[in-house]
Amino acid sequence: MAQAATPTITQNILRDGLILPRTPDPAAMVIFGASGDLTARKLMPALYNLALNRYLPSGFSVIGVADTALTEDEFRAHMEQAVQKFSRSQPVDRAVWESLAEGISYVRMPFDDAAGYGRLAAELDRLDRERGTNGNRVFYLATAPQFSVIIDRLGAAGIAKAGEGWKRVVIEKPFGNDLKSAQALNQAIHAVFAEPQIYRIDHYLGKETVQNVLVFRFANGIFEPIWNRRYVDHVQITVAEDIGIERRGKYYESSGALRDIFQNHLMQLLSIAAMEAPPNFDADSVRDEKVKVLKSIHPIDVANDVVRGQYGPGWVGGQQVPGYRQEVNVSPASTTETFVAVRLKIDNWRWADTPFYLRTGKRLPSRASEIAIQFKNPPHLPFAKTAVQELTPNVLVMRIQPHEGASLKIAAKIPGPVMRLRTVNMDFFYGSSFMVESPDAYERLVLDCMLGDATLFAREDEVERAWGLVDRIEAGWASQPPPAFPNYAAGTWGPPEVDALIERDGRRWRRP
Amino acid sequence: MSTDHTELSARTFVDVHDIQEELDQVRWGLHADGEGSEAAQHAAAEARASVCNLIAVVSNEPELGEVMSVLDRLSVTNPSRTLILLAQHTREADKLEAEVSAQERTESGHRVSTERVILHAHGEPARHLASLATPLLIPDLPVILWWPGRPQFDNPLFDDLCELADRLVVDTDEGFDDSDLARLLEVARRNKAQASIGDLNWARLIAWRHVAAQFFDMPGMLARLAHVHGVSIFHGSDGQTAQARLLGGWIRSRMARVGIDVPLEFRPEDSLEHGVHRFLIYTGGDEGPARFSMSRLRGGRLSTQIRLGEQELAERTVRLESRATEELLGIELTLPGYDVLFEEALDAALR
Repeated sequence: MAQAATPTITQNILRDGLILPRTPDPAAMVIFGASGDLTARKLMPALYNLALNRYLPSGFSVIGVADTALTEDEFRAHMEQAVQKFSRSQPVDRAVWESLAEGISYVRMPFDDAAGYGRLAAELDRLDRERGTNGNRVFYLATAPQFSVIIDRLGAAGIAKAGEGWKRVVIEKPFGNDLKSAQALNQAIHAVFAEPQIYRIDHYLGKETVQNVLVFRFANGIFEPIWNRRYVDHVQITVAEDIGIERRGKYYESSGALRDIFQNHLMQLLSIAAMEAPPNFDADSVRDEKVKVLKSIHPIDVANDVVRGQYGPGWVGGQQVPGYRQEVNVSPASTTETFVAVRLKIDNWRWADTPFYLRTGKRLPSRASEIAIQFKNPPHLPFAKTAVQELTPNVLVMRIQPHEGASLKIAAKIPGPVMRLRTVNMDFFYGSSFMVESPDAYERLVLDCMLGDATLFAREDEVERAWGLVDRIEAGWASQPPPAFPNYAAGTWGPPEVDALIERDGRRWRRP
Repeated sequence: MSTDHTELSARTFVDVHDIQEELDQVRWGLHADGEGSEAAQHAAAEARASVCNLIAVVSNEPELGEVMSVLDRLSVTNPSRTLILLAQHTREADKLEAEVSAQERTESGHRVSTERVILHAHGEPARHLASLATPLLIPDLPVILWWPGRPQFDNPLFDDLCELADRLVVDTDEGFDDSDLARLLEVARRNKAQASIGDLNWARLIAWRHVAAQFFDMPGMLARLAHVHGVSIFHGSDGQTAQARLLGGWIRSRMARVGIDVPLEFRPEDSLEHGVHRFLIYTGGDEGPARFSMSRLRGGRLSTQIRLGEQELAERTVRLESRATEELLGIELTLPGYDVLFEEALDAALR
């Protein structure tokens, strides 16, 4: 057939009908801290699984940067071992690994060494020429204390300069350790990168079940009408861990539960539980709504609304475990909190006067992350002349981990001539409907970053708002006498004061 | 994943009301009078995850065994009510038997419960199995009709079940010739408003389509799509051509959307095993000739390469999943309804 003229094609028509994400542009990912634990446990296995499942483009390349004495071959071998050990897909496909490994190189340098950045620039130029990465770069900063130095040197060396291709930077947590340091870090990063180029990771947001909370709320018409102060009595958000601090004593001493979990994971769960429906799911629409929640939090009265604790020796899961002060790299007189519970109120039309109780801690009796919505009792009890004297409130629980899913607690009649009620749980396990392996949070987040989608990453104002809350709590604690730590035994649900925090409102903590 | 599989009940019935009653019992643990033990009441208050009703049609006992084991494995990821219809149009006396059973699996700590009904009919009842299937379906859930092998397009049961179903799933890799493909296209067009068509062979081509599309996601490559002037598909010479035809039909139909008629070259080769092995797309135009190639490697891999003139760009090796039937069926169960791309590919494959 004679063709009259060449058509103009503006979109990839071969992609029609494929329910798969767009392919990112060929790019080089520069990992600072490449010899560290995060790269081995999370990043490289995530990249391998993305490559295996056809999500990475041809020419995708990785430059590992660290100050560890390794040859390029040794670095590749180290990464291969990491993938063998930590990849969720097993056994590792050698041909796919080799195809990915062809694009892996290594630059050894101290992060403050200006000359090293010259070598890094030369390596990036080589990849542009030889592997077609076209100036597209992801700078992945997996080395917390040195964020500012790396950003500064990247800027000075001109590697992150706008020009051909896109440049993005991924920052791991902790993003600062108070509002002032977070602002300083934001300022340092903004000297080199604009906000849309910055991807602050909170891996919780990459979890399928956290995203499912958004789907649960906004893809089902029946929940939103009752998701407000009129029907909800209160909300409990729990991130409980049964483990201790493992070998992270040095980090945890300067962090504590407030910085380690409250500032990021708990604030993210609070935001997605309380936010309004965004007009669409683009990055700024979602993050605008989350920030509005954080802006609406009523100033916290630290003396009355916050409880902190530190675990002493005890028993967890049948095992005797040491107290926090006996852990490695922890001061025997440490006043670092391993437990924090906060009562919050959100000053907006949806949630006015509806308390949110948040708690997180180490060495609690079980591991559980969940958002529990407790509804108000019916306004009238029609069973007055029966044996039914009171009703148990309905509770909707969205479980993040483990046993991902949702439960609804309802009352049901016990069969028989007498009106008697019993509470039953309707449990829905995501696993029963979708018994498939979920991708690791890092796979989703790395791919999103390469595609330029920042929806599941924290924005500058979000991070700073959360740090503002932490600072207020820290300031309140500083004005109080030193706590009598340890104040809860490992294997219990926190110090006794935590019960008082909720019981004075006539409510009780759930047992997750 | 650790699996624990329990057969809770397996009894035989001949009356539809008896079957319904037994289904209620195995689903909710109720006694015949609707009352139950305390444990059964508790079970009744638990939410049960079921994603669809699945009807499979088989024509003989050996096929029944194979289908049952596929559906058993499928139930792990897609808890469903399953009806297996064994319709035998023999000269034997009219006969109808039903076997109801419930399975409970625990997989990595999650419990999945499913029910299965096997309806075995001879003679006249075999023609009216759709009327028996209808009252046994879980309300409000989609009905998926899986017809393994070549469907009996002229059997009234086929039309009746298509009318009942939201989706008809076949596998054109199971001996479909051009006339079967043409009949399938006819069904797809006729049933547009009712049962959409799913083809396990089409699902097998997802990786090929994905990788072909990815070539043109790359910067500077999209413009070359307007200059596609040929496609070659190398495949096994075992006479099973439906997969190669569908792949060719797919790219031809996509390019036809922008007014480009792409000639297809099919290259059956004796040295190749069953199915598509190589897929080459040739482009020309002002930017010079280019070849985009995908080759199936041993061990479930696909190697991709771009050649621009004489220059070879970076090669890539990715996974080409060799999926079991239950996995392909599982994909079909998650796809949205009517698939216009499939119909267009089928149409283009036959032109």
